[in-house]
Amino acid sequence: MTEKKRYKPLASSKYMEKTMTRYYALSQYHRFWGKPLRRPLAWVTSGAPVELLRAFKIHPVYPEQYGAICSTKKATEKLCQVAESAGYSQDLCSYARSHIGSILRPDLAPMGGLPRPDLLLCCNNICGTVLKWYEVVARLLNVPLLMLDTPYLPGEYEKHTKEYVLEQIHDMINFLEKFTGRRFDPKTLERHAGYSNEAVNLWKEIRELCRTTPSPLNGPDLFIQMAPIVVLRGTSPVVDYYRRLKQEVAQRVKEGTAAVDGENIRLVWDNIAIWSNLFSFTKMFTERKACFITDTYTGGWSMVLDPGDPIESLASAYTKVFLNRSPDFRARQLTELVRDYSADGFVMHSNRSCKPYSLVQEVIRRKVMKETGVPGLMVEADMADPRAYAEEPIRNRVQAFLETLGGI
Amino acid sequence: MGQYYIGVDIGSLTTKVVMVDGDGKLAARATGRSGYSGKDVAERITARLLEEKGLGQKDVAATVATGYGRVTYPADREVSEITCQARGIASQFGSAGTVIDIGGQDSKVIKILKGGKVVDFAMNDKCAAGTGRFLEVMAGALEVRLEDIGDLALQARGHCQISSFCTVFAESEVISHVSSGASKADILAGVCDSVAVRVASMTSRTGLDPEVVFTGGVARNKGVAAALEKALGCPLTIPEEPEITAALGAALFARDINKGQG
Repeated sequence: MTEKKRYKPLASSKYMEKTMTRYYALSQYHRFWGKPLRRPLAWVTSGAPVELLRAFKIHPVYPEQYGAICSTKKATEKLCQVAESAGYSQDLCSYARSHIGSILRPDLAPMGGLPRPDLLLCCNNICGTVLKWYEVVARLLNVPLLMLDTPYLPGEYEKHTKEYVLEQIHDMINFLEKFTGRRFDPKTLERHAGYSNEAVNLWKEIRELCRTTPSPLNGPDLFIQMAPIVVLRGTSPVVDYYRRLKQEVAQRVKEGTAAVDGENIRLVWDNIAIWSNLFSFTKMFTERKACFITDTYTGGWSMVLDPGDPIESLASAYTKVFLNRSPDFRARQLTELVRDYSADGFVMHSNRSCKPYSLVQEVIRRKVMKETGVPGLMVEADMADPRAYAEEPIRNRVQAFLETLGGI
Repeated sequence: MGQYYIGVDIGSLTTKVVMVDGDGKLAARATGRSGYSGKDVAERITARLLEEKGLGQKDVAATVATGYGRVTYPADREVSEITCQARGIASQFGSAGTVIDIGGQDSKVIKILKGGKVVDFAMNDKCAAGTGRFLEVMAGALEVRLEDIGDLALQARGHCQISSFCTVFAESEVISHVSSGASKADILAGVCDSVAVRVASMTSRTGLDPEVVFTGGVARNKGVAAALEKALGCPLTIPEEPEITAALGAALFARDINKGQG
């Protein structure tokens, strides 16, 4: 018995793998080239203004992406147990736990752990956990920690918020000048911000191509294809990559190629992917011809930097990320996605790890259901820790949900 | 071609089989403990039902399976118990409303439209508190028969508080109430309250209609029903045989199937 493969791979993926392999190889061998080239390595959070580091020729590495890699390589459980026996609570974010575990037991970690950093840069626009997580790492490795505090935006981006964030960025620039021995050059920063914007715009356009019926991409495509824009943001190779990807996706649209054969249910996804079970989870949907045409998570990397003073646009873009905003803002965002992408429903992953993302979901779910008239399903799991994923209860909910949408 | 349709609901504790005739009228039903293999139990029950009616396999036009064991059973189709429950209830009561279903390891709140279409639902997650299994454990701790919990709870003079969110810890709470001299009735009333409060809080996710139907094996428990009415502040309608409504829904779905094309 052979089941028809429902997952349609992208030809561009081959180039993405190349790009990512090159990036991780460069990172792993940083100890050979970093010192002679006077280019330190920094561990940074996913929402940190990395363009600033690039302007000082600092090589960024992302523990959060590494957390996702650990999960797809089935290493999270062991690494989390290492952190848990060192005293970190099981309620702590699984990216944080697996990362701390990888520092304590590199022998259990994919790639033998991440290359040692010279510096840490943490921005709390995505969550509060990163503050303590990076403090722990700074203590464990005895390296300096830079922190950017972006106040939560209950409403709009106010003048006092802007001034507060700008002042911190200027302080950071002073520190980085001393730390690297390089002078700050606004032109260099502008160049990197330009690369970011080009990639962001391409990513945005790629995502918007999925407004077509049938959608050329499914959820896992978005989750996997976002990898370069996370770690290579602000560089030229990332722009090249998304140009190539856009071409392929546009071609699919032109030919009417569907990511899910016979697509008949269009869904929006909310929250980080369930990395540990990405394909088995998605299969519950594809086997009933349901496609995740867009999501809120990978949309986080489609925020354009405003023109004008690059420091001001960094401050504004990084403070305004959706996780730093009110439930009203997020409900509006999800409502717009449902409408713009002609979705039949939405699925929320209540992610045990990610509190700021998950805590307000029930409120948002009801609001969006009311405003759009489409149903929303909530499933409980974790982005990385497979111990929080119970397949049967989830299958039960998913099946019932899809039966209400597509009939039995 | 046969003219009977079978719905099989293999739950975590109990397996239910319902047979309807060509008009969708209830023709026969039976239940049994799911045990190790719910599928075998379901097949035995089905064979027995057919025999009692003097029927054979050829008289069965289609079968739909639901419940946790649904994928194991050789049915024409499997349908989730949420969809089946809604269909079963709609066939019995007709109106739109809220269904509260408490089974062996699940408790759910389902909001349905007239005709049985599911609008929204909420379920307990990764925890058996607020389910039939929870009551079973408590019955065991107090050496009371499961079916006696309801009557005993209704005789309570005061209600003990069971505060824990965990079945295992709640059991030790029960034991500490026992050792402090509380009566079985008062403790059981507390146990019923705890189930009711947990399930009532789920209705805040789906919203609550004035028409509330209470189903599942636990709906036979008068103590939980009374506690739930109190927690929700509205009366409950309980089907005559509350544990078979999902199997009934499955049988009605089986009737929809045109086997020739299926």
